[in-house]
Amino acid sequence: MMKGKEYIESLRKYKPTVYFMGKKIESVADSPILAPHVNAAAMTYELAHDPKYEDVMTATSHLTGEKINRFTHIHQSTEDLVKKVRMMRLLGRKTGSCFQRCVGLDALCALYITTYDIDQKYGTDYHERFKEYLTYVQKNDLMAAGAMTDVKGDRSLRPHQQADPDMYVRVVERREDGIVVRGAKAHITGAVNSHEIIALPTRAMGEKDKDYAVAFAVPVDAEGVVMFFGRQTNDMRRLDGDIDCGNAKYGTVGGEALIVFNDVFVPWERVFMCGEYDFASELVETFATYHRQNYGGCKVGVADVLIGASAAIAEYNGVERASHIVDKLTEMVHLAETCWCCSLACSYEGFKTPSGAYMPNLLLANVTKLNITRFPYEWSRLAQDIVGGIVATTPSELDYKNPETRELIEKYLKGKADVPTEHRIRVIRLIENLSIGAELPESMHGAGSPAAQKIMIARRANLDLKKEEAKRVAGILPDEDYQRVRGEEKKE
Amino acid sequence: MKIGVKYCGGCNPEYRREGVEEVLRKHFKIFYSEDVDILILINGCRKACLAEEVEHPNILVVDSPMSEEEIVRKVEDAMKELRES
Repeated sequence: MMKGKEYIESLRKYKPTVYFMGKKIESVADSPILAPHVNAAAMTYELAHDPKYEDVMTATSHLTGEKINRFTHIHQSTEDLVKKVRMMRLLGRKTGSCFQRCVGLDALCALYITTYDIDQKYGTDYHERFKEYLTYVQKNDLMAAGAMTDVKGDRSLRPHQQADPDMYVRVVERREDGIVVRGAKAHITGAVNSHEIIALPTRAMGEKDKDYAVAFAVPVDAEGVVMFFGRQTNDMRRLDGDIDCGNAKYGTVGGEALIVFNDVFVPWERVFMCGEYDFASELVETFATYHRQNYGGCKVGVADVLIGASAAIAEYNGVERASHIVDKLTEMVHLAETCWCCSLACSYEGFKTPSGAYMPNLLLANVTKLNITRFPYEWSRLAQDIVGGIVATTPSELDYKNPETRELIEKYLKGKADVPTEHRIRVIRLIENLSIGAELPESMHGAGSPAAQKIMIARRANLDLKKEEAKRVAGILPDEDYQRVRGEEKKE
Repeated sequence: MKIGVKYCGGCNPEYRREGVEEVLRKHFKIFYSEDVDILILINGCRKACLAEEVEHPNILVVDSPMSEEEIVRKVEDAMKELRES
């Protein structure tokens, strides 16, 4: 298992093609724009070596029996599922940001299950192939970017109906030694600072979409892979110093990128689905369930930081005992812990799949994520309420550091006398970072937008059974248990 | 050959569990007992609590809706396997 520093060093061995602001980034490990995201991902490596955290951060490989980073582990029990979300909360709390590595983990787990199922039906050898790849990932402790979302073009059309056939990643050539793929994946978390990219289909496919039913893995610097690092609100503050960012060390959300596959060759040993369109839906659903399971862990860890910042600013402002402040902080805790309950519940209610891997309860995982499309907006609103309007009007770090103006800012941004002004500004900026900007849309759309969760919830709501219960309670259908209690049961 | 059924607690079933028993009764003689040759565990969801709790040499797990044909085929396959062993 790599340590944090070793992970950062390992990135130097890769030469991905990454563009940002019209220029090519020469070294991912050394770019100040990428640094916070690299640091956050590095924490997934570093904490695995800390005796205080290794119980949730590590696992035993079911393939090799070796101790591995949990981010490369296939869940072998419901306890593994629970430990995964505990790991998410821990890292959310430690970084106050997205640590990116869960997407690759979820892609590995989803492929483990679906490759097994494809082989059962078609007699293919995807699962064995995939297990070899998984062993490689585990042994080298690699970070994989899970790349699912296609750019989609006209959303009303299926992949094969698009005016431009490259709107979904597809196979453009089948060779003896592998396939050639073309297309693009959008919003891919941690892509530029990963070692590998694992691409999965993004939707259910029909027979005519056969070429789009493709799953594969390539190194981030495979020939033909071009990435565009996405802009974030206030991203250039990173170049000004460490205060205005709010979270200069770990940034905010995952540092997402657009990945273009410009006729990329993939050898057969890295192809895990190729044309089995009838399994695209299962793969998407399985991945989505794993990924939606996470959000009551990571986002609640981040909420821990926001709640702490809100409590701290109340203290710095001298209002920590005001009843409305206590009430708002309590409400934030309630919202966050409700989401935590959801993540734990879907994990404890997980089940064993035919492949042997465990996966979370599908309905509850979707409920978890749907809450995350709402509750972070509310806890962010409460944080903004507590911090006050200064969250949007604080003078810049450069003015604060300017010897000509520093004294004035020191004096007039002061809160309680015993709290340094800089501490107050730092906490205000942290609240700004966590409650304004990329964090909220990520809660909304990461792991799928609310409509996607609603579809899954509706599909699993089992309204017929609920109607039956209602009719029984209302006296429309017979209630045999009640009849026995009242001694009214039918005599045979 | 004795066939037994055991239900999970039924806290939040995803389908009508009783339907499985009805099919079984139609085709086989069944008992509410674990002292049987084949024990059918009727779980209300894929969590399949019973599969983790019950120990029996010949278990059949039902954890999601199944057609009548599928249920009968599964039981007959299990009976055949047991006879051959």
